[in-house]
Amino acid sequence: MSLREPAWRVTARELESSLEEQKGEGERPTTYLLSPFGARMSRVLLAGSLSPAESIGRDEAQAFWRARLSDPTGAIAVTAGSFQPRAMAQLRSATAPRPAVVVGKAHLFRGRDGVGYVSVRAEGVRSVPESEERAMLAEILRQTVDRLDLLERVEKEPALTEEAVRKDGIPLVWFRAAHAALARYPNVDRPAFRRELRSAVRRVAGESGPTRATLPTPSSVTVTRAPPPHPAAPPPSAAERAEESLFLDQLDEVADVSADGYADLREVLARVSAHGLAGDRAEAILNRLEEEGVVEEPIVGKLRRG
Amino acid sequence: MPAEASPSAPVEVRLKDLRPTTTPVEFVARVVACERREVTRKSDGSRRAVLSGLLSDGTATVRFSWWDPPREGIERGVVLRAVGADVREFRGRPEVTFGWKTRVGPASPAELPRVDGEEIPFRTVRELRAGDEGFRIELRIVRIAPKGVTVGSERRVVHEGLLADRTGAIALTAWSDFGLKQGEAVRIAGAYVRAFRNRPQLVLDERSTVVRVDGADLPEPGALLAAAPRTIAEVEDEGGGEAVAVEGIVVGLLPPSGIVFRCPTCHRSVRSGICRVHGQVDGQPDLRARIVLDDGTGALTVNANRPDTERLWGVTLEEAQARLRSQPDPSVLEEQMLESLLGRRLRVRGTGTSDDFGVTIAPESIERVDIDLDAAAQELSTRLEERG
Repeated sequence: MSLREPAWRVTARELESSLEEQKGEGERPTTYLLSPFGARMSRVLLAGSLSPAESIGRDEAQAFWRARLSDPTGAIAVTAGSFQPRAMAQLRSATAPRPAVVVGKAHLFRGRDGVGYVSVRAEGVRSVPESEERAMLAEILRQTVDRLDLLERVEKEPALTEEAVRKDGIPLVWFRAAHAALARYPNVDRPAFRRELRSAVRRVAGESGPTRATLPTPSSVTVTRAPPPHPAAPPPSAAERAEESLFLDQLDEVADVSADGYADLREVLARVSAHGLAGDRAEAILNRLEEEGVVEEPIVGKLRRG
Repeated sequence: MPAEASPSAPVEVRLKDLRPTTTPVEFVARVVACERREVTRKSDGSRRAVLSGLLSDGTATVRFSWWDPPREGIERGVVLRAVGADVREFRGRPEVTFGWKTRVGPASPAELPRVDGEEIPFRTVRELRAGDEGFRIELRIVRIAPKGVTVGSERRVVHEGLLADRTGAIALTAWSDFGLKQGEAVRIAGAYVRAFRNRPQLVLDERSTVVRVDGADLPEPGALLAAAPRTIAEVEDEGGGEAVAVEGIVVGLLPPSGIVFRCPTCHRSVRSGICRVHGQVDGQPDLRARIVLDDGTGALTVNANRPDTERLWGVTLEEAQARLRSQPDPSVLEEQMLESLLGRRLRVRGTGTSDDFGVTIAPESIERVDIDLDAAAQELSTRLEERG
């Protein structure tokens, strides 16, 4: 029986940190992306804020679009080409970031330097109300914690059998994925990941994130004749401008010494974090710069000035 | 009755004890089904009559072939004593053959082995496999309803339903009216199990016996129909099941979803105006959705009918037809349907069958599920606080 691959509920953070592949069995084996936290993914399901898409196709006939999906743990590229016409139409339809659910295939690209970049080739994309995005995030977090608990159990009880886990209602694919994850990623800081998940839980309760519903109602309203392109975002403060210029400086420095003229996203992120601009903030800056057209990402994980 | 058996004398056996042997056997059994055919001999082209069908003595049912049967024919239900029948094996099951050496004569039903005897083993639903018979089982009748069917040229009423014990549930087809009522607990003997769409099904016929019992240890009918959802991985593992409940997210639609045309007589879908059975027909429009439901452990297909599709999609068949007239591309319709369904959380109950592509559920109910965000956040933070 060739069963349909289940859609693994994952956070952007978990997907980003998945850099090991595993070949399946059979005549046309599926390639699975193995995460450090016990997911063995062909198909994935994510929820978060999806940015407007940009075309990265080289010629007209082979359209290819990419957007970024950000959840409270990180961001991941979501792509769709002419082989996913529906998903592509969905990606293209948005002009502003919106809450969305994405189902697609996890895809690992290894650059010439051997660095891996994960993206999602979308099969289905749907804009959802914010409450649905939070409900989906709750499910994603719950299954992620389920998998983390299973990993720890497998680590503690090496003699645990398939029969025993089946009795507890744990799917066999999860159990095998847990074993594979422990073997392929022997040194992973799971407590740190749990801490990241803990802060993501606040989003489920609707406590964090500048969501439209929680923005305070202004006492007076200013009417602008020409609305700015992103009415929801407040103008960047001086501090944010400083962060942007730090980001751009590092980007230029990396691009100057690289062979292909592009700046490697990971390297830039590593450099800015050394200057005190860490993960989430750096992602937010990058998103803003991309939206403003200052920076482009024509290849997943490769940046250049717009 | 077992006199001094000489080496060549047939041994009287029960059908459940039949083994392929070289020694002819003797048994008493009832003809359950039979059909007369003529076989053309390859050597000289002459024709020879053969009667074949099923024999049962309540302990087992076996196929039989009777070469040169009596010209006046044999009625279904007749009890026979066969002396000197040959036993052979076909596809792993014993079969008997009556040849010129076999003496076959009428016998009285009283000579049949007692069906409800103490020696017949008890089984549970989980242990039943297609082809099983000669067992007793105690079950609760979860539901039962009569249904008219056509068998060949004959109209018959079957009673279809669902039975359950502590280990699971099984579909029922009763070819005789045992006066079964929902909620009753019964002990059944003389039933057999057959496979229907890869799922075992319990079949009762005129040979079966049903006794009412108090059934204190059997589940209540309501309990089964309100059981908590199980993981799709489990349902896949078991190849479906009766009264299966699952909960998952819609991750896709399979073709054909949207407007389909059905034969007015048999409701099969019609392709370019032609029904597989009834030929050229005037297809009746219908709305359906083949939903891929995924819970992160596995995925299955849910075949939603017109009312369910209309309710979930929020578009009626008439509205869908109107859209199709203004935009004559069915794939646009399917796309619109997917856009309104993708990512929705559904709880589905129904009968799950499996084939090469996995499990398909014929739903009895499909409900949208909303989760309590505050409770979910509370539970998650508690779980994440505990460790790490």
